[in-house]
Amino acid sequence: MNEIGHPMLKYLKTEGPSGPRLPLILCPGCGAGQVLNYTLHAVDRLLAEDNLNKEDVVFISGVGCSSRLTSHYLQFDSGWTIHGRSLAIATGALLANPKLRIIVFTGDGDAAIGGNHFIHACRRNIDVTIICVNNGLYGMTGGQVAPTTDTGEKTATTPFGNVEDPFDLCKLAETAGAAYVARWSTAHPRQTVKTIIKGIRKKGTAFIEILSQCPVHKKTAPVEMFKALRRLTARVKEGAAVPDGRIAVGEFCNRDKPDWISRYQDIIDQENRHKDTECTGSI
Amino acid sequence: MYRFNLNPAYCKGCGICIAACPKKVIESTGRLDAKGHILPGGGDMSRCTGCRLCELVCPDFAVAIVEDEAAEEKNDVNPD
Repeated sequence: MNEIGHPMLKYLKTEGPSGPRLPLILCPGCGAGQVLNYTLHAVDRLLAEDNLNKEDVVFISGVGCSSRLTSHYLQFDSGWTIHGRSLAIATGALLANPKLRIIVFTGDGDAAIGGNHFIHACRRNIDVTIICVNNGLYGMTGGQVAPTTDTGEKTATTPFGNVEDPFDLCKLAETAGAAYVARWSTAHPRQTVKTIIKGIRKKGTAFIEILSQCPVHKKTAPVEMFKALRRLTARVKEGAAVPDGRIAVGEFCNRDKPDWISRYQDIIDQENRHKDTECTGSI
Repeated sequence: MYRFNLNPAYCKGCGICIAACPKKVIESTGRLDAKGHILPGGGDMSRCTGCRLCELVCPDFAVAIVEDEAAEEKNDVNPD
């Protein structure tokens, strides 16, 4: 009956040693599945257009709902690593093979718990693409308050409303020194795919925050949350003011600066040249 | 002519494809499957433009839009 399936199933492990791996473990209507779908569409286009091989793309994730998306389901090289430290492991993978295109899936909890790794990865401008699925709470552990939860938001641990101000991860990444920073939501599918393609092509850290829905812990129907994400976001051009009460989406920062590996390579080349001249001088 | 091909084993009935469809072609079948999900189905598929937005937004890789000449009699994708 279903002789033709979803076009991205070619990149997914549908069967594992202990039986079928799909459907995804995520709750119905979870935004993390959508983000995986957008990312695979972007990677599919990159493989076709940029003369990349499947072996050149590596997915790395930490712990969390969004981090379940990598090694368990993907037919790419992937690592499902320790909580908040996915960027440290991505740095290691990049040092081992600088030609890799590394995509790091992180949730807002993973980015905040590994906050130090996150800001230092942006500061060093390592050549990875960070895709942050931001649903505004700790979904996997039961919907507790996260550093990205909006003020006044009710969660499992803030039943009377959150008293803290949330992190703006995009501003944090931009200030820390990432080369490319953008934010979209799961309700902006085409824009997200284009941005992920741009982010992977960008030399240096690309941080892409994708606002996502958690229908289970926010106790709202997925469709309502999907429509609300479109309603509550506003695309802003650089420097323009955001309409009241809405979240700015779009591309916030796109700058050219040397990435970490190329700076190291410059020093190695310089030293080699220095040695060469020393040798010829002594002869 | 396009056909809305749903994999009922993967679909969790979230309804995001119904909300995302720009032509409002996809509609709920109103029937429960064995897991308690209300699955979507292709309605008047003659209005489908093949933009494949439903494929792109599906969180569970369940939807496929198939270009098909003889799709008329296959439109009902959820016989059970």
